[in-house]
Amino acid sequence: MSLRTQIIVAVAVIIALLVLSGMIKKKKIEVRFALIWYLLALVILVLDIFPGLLDKATAFMGVGLAVNMLFFMGFCFALVIIFVMTLWVSRLSMKVKQLTQELALLDKKLSETDMAQGKG
Amino acid sequence: MKKLVIIPAYNEEGNIEKTVTDIEKNAPDFDYVIVNDCSTDHTYQICQEKGYNVINLPVNLGIGGGVQTGYMYGWRNGYDIAVQFDGDGQHTASFLNTMADYLTKNHLDMVIGSRYITKDGFQSSGIRRAGIRYFTWLIKLLTGQKITDPTSGMRMVNRDIIELFAKDYPKDYPEPETVTFILKRKKRVAEIPVLMNAREAGVSSISPLNAVYYMIKVTMSILFAAGKRK
Repeated sequence: MSLRTQIIVAVAVIIALLVLSGMIKKKKIEVRFALIWYLLALVILVLDIFPGLLDKATAFMGVGLAVNMLFFMGFCFALVIIFVMTLWVSRLSMKVKQLTQELALLDKKLSETDMAQGKG
Repeated sequence: MKKLVIIPAYNEEGNIEKTVTDIEKNAPDFDYVIVNDCSTDHTYQICQEKGYNVINLPVNLGIGGGVQTGYMYGWRNGYDIAVQFDGDGQHTASFLNTMADYLTKNHLDMVIGSRYITKDGFQSSGIRRAGIRYFTWLIKLLTGQKITDPTSGMRMVNRDIIELFAKDYPKDYPEPETVTFILKRKKRVAEIPVLMNAREAGVSSISPLNAVYYMIKVTMSILFAAGKRK
């Protein structure tokens, strides 16, 4: 990896971090959901500054090329993120269902009370 | 004894009046509640104009979420018996009293109205019948009991099961899964013959497009329901 690549990657990661932090400030993303992306940026930054680490990991895993190791890691990370998302969506959808039902039942009760009081 | 008919309704403007009239005329002992699942047609307006007893879901939840809302209503309002009754004109209210008698006399937890005991009335298309037979086989394998019409929407339950369903009910295609679930928990389930009609208006919730999804999803759900222990 040339110094040029290293600088470009580092700059890109730092910009991404700034954008992410800006979004947290503007409350567009919750901190707990942003953490995993901070972690990713950090890992990329470390591997970018110390390329020797990636070579070691590549050798350890018995992968031939460092670039393949990089793709493999990226793929695994993406899978984990997607799975966690599925978990979140499931949980949210259960909560939405519950809220909808409670709201509907409350609305029903309210209109019955109104009717009993003659407000129609 | 308080008895409740739960009528899930999604875009049933063409059927809902007939359904309610049928219940008022042929099953006058029963209260009813319509659960309007955020219909995009005039179902809700019709219910309001006619002064029907209706719960209006602000967001579309699908059949399971709608029916469960009915069970929650039944549980909170102290109903002893609740029966699911489709708002699409497929079910006939004259069977409700027979079902209720059968349920109380035999101390059952659930009575299913089955199309396939006397094999009269609307029998569904051949390919769907094959699917239903497959579920019958699978449920027999897992629970030891033969349920001839596991997808029947016409199911009457006692207060125990009302509570169970109010707490936990699947979102889509709930029937075969919930029968398996309660059979596995040693609840008493029986079927009696009923006649059903082909739907008069509206569309079925199962199109050919999602039939594959349906078969896989329900099979998985049945397997999980059979294994679930609480």
